[in-house]
Amino acid sequence: MQQSVSVEINGIRYDEQVPIRMLLVDFLRDTVGLTGTHVGCTFEGVCGACTVHLDGEAVKSCMMLAVQANGRAITTIEGLAPKGELHALQKAFTARHALQCGFCTAGILMNAAEFLKENPDPTDDEIRHALVGNLCRCTGYSHIVEAIRDAAVEMRK
Amino acid sequence: MGHPDLNWVGRELNRKEDLRLTTGKGQYFGDIKLQGALHLVFVRSSRAHALIKRIDTAAAKAMAGVFAVVTGAELKDKLKSLPIPVVVPALPARYPTFWPLAVGKVKFHGEPVAAVVAKDCYIAEDAAEAIEIEYEDLPYVAGPEEAMKPGAPILHPGWDDNKIFELGFTGGATPESVAQNETEVDRLIREAPVAIKRRFKVHRTGVTPMEPRGAMANWDPSDGMTCWVTTQRPHIDRLALAEILDIPTNQMRVIAPRDQGGGFGVKAPFYREPILVAFMAKHLGRPVRWQETREEHLMCVSQERDQIHDLEVAANKDGKIIAVRDRGLGDVGDGCEGVYWGFLMPFLGSALLPNGYDLPRCDIKLKCYVTNKSALSPARSFGSFATRFAMERMVDLVARAVDKEPADVRRLNLFTQLPYTTATGVYLDSGDFLKVFDTLTAKIDLKKFRQEQADARSKGRYLGVGFGVGAELSGVASAVLVPMENQPGFGAATVRIDPRGNVQIFEGDAPLGQGHETTFAQVAASELGIEPEHITVTTGDTGTTPFGSGTIGARGGSYTVSAVANACRHLKTKMAKILAHDLKLDASPADFDFASGMVTYRKEPSKQKSFRSLAERIIMAPLNLPAGETAGLEYTAFFEAEVPMICFSAHACVVEVMAQTGQFKILRYVTAEDVGKMINPAIVEGQVQGGVVQGLSNTMFEEFVYDDNGQQLTSTFESYKMATAADVPHVEVTDACTPCPHTPLGTRGLGEGIPGPVPGALTNAVCDALTPFNVDIIELPLRPNRIWQAIREAQSAKRAS
Repeated sequence: MQQSVSVEINGIRYDEQVPIRMLLVDFLRDTVGLTGTHVGCTFEGVCGACTVHLDGEAVKSCMMLAVQANGRAITTIEGLAPKGELHALQKAFTARHALQCGFCTAGILMNAAEFLKENPDPTDDEIRHALVGNLCRCTGYSHIVEAIRDAAVEMRK
Repeated sequence: MGHPDLNWVGRELNRKEDLRLTTGKGQYFGDIKLQGALHLVFVRSSRAHALIKRIDTAAAKAMAGVFAVVTGAELKDKLKSLPIPVVVPALPARYPTFWPLAVGKVKFHGEPVAAVVAKDCYIAEDAAEAIEIEYEDLPYVAGPEEAMKPGAPILHPGWDDNKIFELGFTGGATPESVAQNETEVDRLIREAPVAIKRRFKVHRTGVTPMEPRGAMANWDPSDGMTCWVTTQRPHIDRLALAEILDIPTNQMRVIAPRDQGGGFGVKAPFYREPILVAFMAKHLGRPVRWQETREEHLMCVSQERDQIHDLEVAANKDGKIIAVRDRGLGDVGDGCEGVYWGFLMPFLGSALLPNGYDLPRCDIKLKCYVTNKSALSPARSFGSFATRFAMERMVDLVARAVDKEPADVRRLNLFTQLPYTTATGVYLDSGDFLKVFDTLTAKIDLKKFRQEQADARSKGRYLGVGFGVGAELSGVASAVLVPMENQPGFGAATVRIDPRGNVQIFEGDAPLGQGHETTFAQVAASELGIEPEHITVTTGDTGTTPFGSGTIGARGGSYTVSAVANACRHLKTKMAKILAHDLKLDASPADFDFASGMVTYRKEPSKQKSFRSLAERIIMAPLNLPAGETAGLEYTAFFEAEVPMICFSAHACVVEVMAQTGQFKILRYVTAEDVGKMINPAIVEGQVQGGVVQGLSNTMFEEFVYDDNGQQLTSTFESYKMATAADVPHVEVTDACTPCPHTPLGTRGLGEGIPGPVPGALTNAVCDALTPFNVDIIELPLRPNRIWQAIREAQSAKRAS
């Protein structure tokens, strides 16, 4: 069964007919073609690689249906920074070597961007606890913590 | 040849990969789609061990959007079964016959039994649900001890028992020399002032990457087959797929996606699933893709370790170990997996058991059995995670027996004279183990810590320190890899300089996050005297890259990068010769420097030409070349060191244990590494941080659990617990490097073995903290309940005595 969905993604409106059982993450990746949002677990919401912003709030897009996003605004990793620019987090992740394979990175950046809005001056411990919804297999997390700390400093300027 | 401009080597250059990966522009397997591609879904066994009595696919076949449903019985005569030589080690073992889908019986919970190909994955999943399979259960073979019992159910038809592999690693080539060695070790153990025996058990765990597996195939009647596979060894996959599908190799191309979401060994085997994907693409004349789910992944791959070691050592009163006897036992699952067959990990683990310790007399034997679990697949610290744990715990037990500082006993037993060949035949080429270990103990300030520990203990707090070391492979030499995996070990790279003075590097291995694009560019930039931004690296496409056996065993920093350097040096010689000829200089190529984008005659620096215009002259205007010289600037170098090489690291862990609950906190985790000449220190540190945390996560959290009927209970990240950021410490990484004399730049490969010393260091720390209770932990995982139980047992034993 199909249903229409109207959703704004990274500032562009999409009106699409989708199967009602389609997951939001599949809609973003397959229908809209924004493949920066990844799937790392079997739609159980544990790995966090699919994290996007829904009306500014970080959510796991594998835990929602596309039709539930009707009338809402979504930001994905492709829309984290204005075109041609980089977010302080993206710069800090590069500078601190906070990614290796990069598969989890988009989800972590989206989660961290929301976190730093709520807590602009976090301790390392607060950063580590803010990251428990994102699994990373390569980095051991330490460089990620440093990068988020650096980005926080930059964003407070 | 002039002095290479080493400016770019040794610098923390930001990675070239990161711009696309931080902006969502990576090209992973899941992001590559072909128009009209169909989706394949596997139906996997719900039983651990059963005969397949009936499969009813009628309802699935009748569903709209379903293109094909296939079972093992239908497939069996249409393609070759494994084993095939290219993915079979040159080791004496029994290699089970298998097809991509189970034929006749299933041997583990999760084995592919049937497959559906449909318009999209939603329809394919629906159709898969509609397939009915009737099984007749057989008794579950739960572990090697059950598998070896007389009368145990036999897994593989035609076998007379369940033993897949058995090897003695010591004592020489003749039965007489082996028997003599056994007798001598036995005598030493009987007569030594200190003799200790323990049974060490390491559970089933591994290093699952964040990106699951996938395969997509497209058949074209003129070009043949193109397969996109998440893989560490595209060139081996190409040879194997061509043979099984009976397609000439010139019509078989395998592409490892440019970006891959981690591998750590898991993507190194030749698996059964891509075979079926390629077969169905040819059969249907449509592109077919399979994207593994996390559930499938955790059921079927990423499972390693799972060894038991009955280890005995004999030592002198000073703690010097004089003899070792080990009887290893491997639970390798069903063993149906190309290249590794489940047993290759325990095999190497036993070979690496002596580690960096001077153990002149060893008697080491291993037996591996097939069981009703998924085949072991490789994970970083390949096979040796278990043997490192056993040996490191044993060193601490020796220290306790002779009442000495465990760090001193390690120092006493570490090799001081390299090169050396261990009793198991592992060649340790170079390095300074004591320098690394002393750097480590200085960093943790061991003396001061022992004082703090004593003070804390007097206040009822239990602090402890533990150590572990790792002499690990730095690349895998042909001398090792040909017998072990029937594959060459050389590193290969093509360097192509274009007429604009820009450079392309082609690598046949397939990196998965290690930063090859950056480190290879740093090396080529240093060699050629240009900027890394003028260098591009292409990897993993068998249509464009030179043959390589894959991204395994820390090959990048040892073998492949050396091929890059040698290819650059070859091209520099050519460029210098032609420039000397053009400038009418009676000069040798060594008289020219390549630096800052210029090629300069050192004796008369005004005689120079830009790198770019010299490249343009040689490629675009190949006139008046020196006699015998040809146009073009492209070279493929194959690097093989004259000996196998190692890197070395030492780890220390400091913990506080709560004796009432068994809970513990890691206060510090410190490492010291010898990676030879470092190319990019940030990338080296990243490898260590990540490798240590994988080791901690394996030691404390991760465990694949099968219930009494062989049902796999840990196929989600809810049940298979991986460390989060809040669970682990920052790792203090220290360098103690000695350049490797066998590589052109002095580099060593690092990465593969990093988790190895972790379980020993952490468990030794916990046991050290609990010295007043005399706690002896010999089994993993290391969790509070086990520690608490060990404390209770030690207390009741004390009361009883």
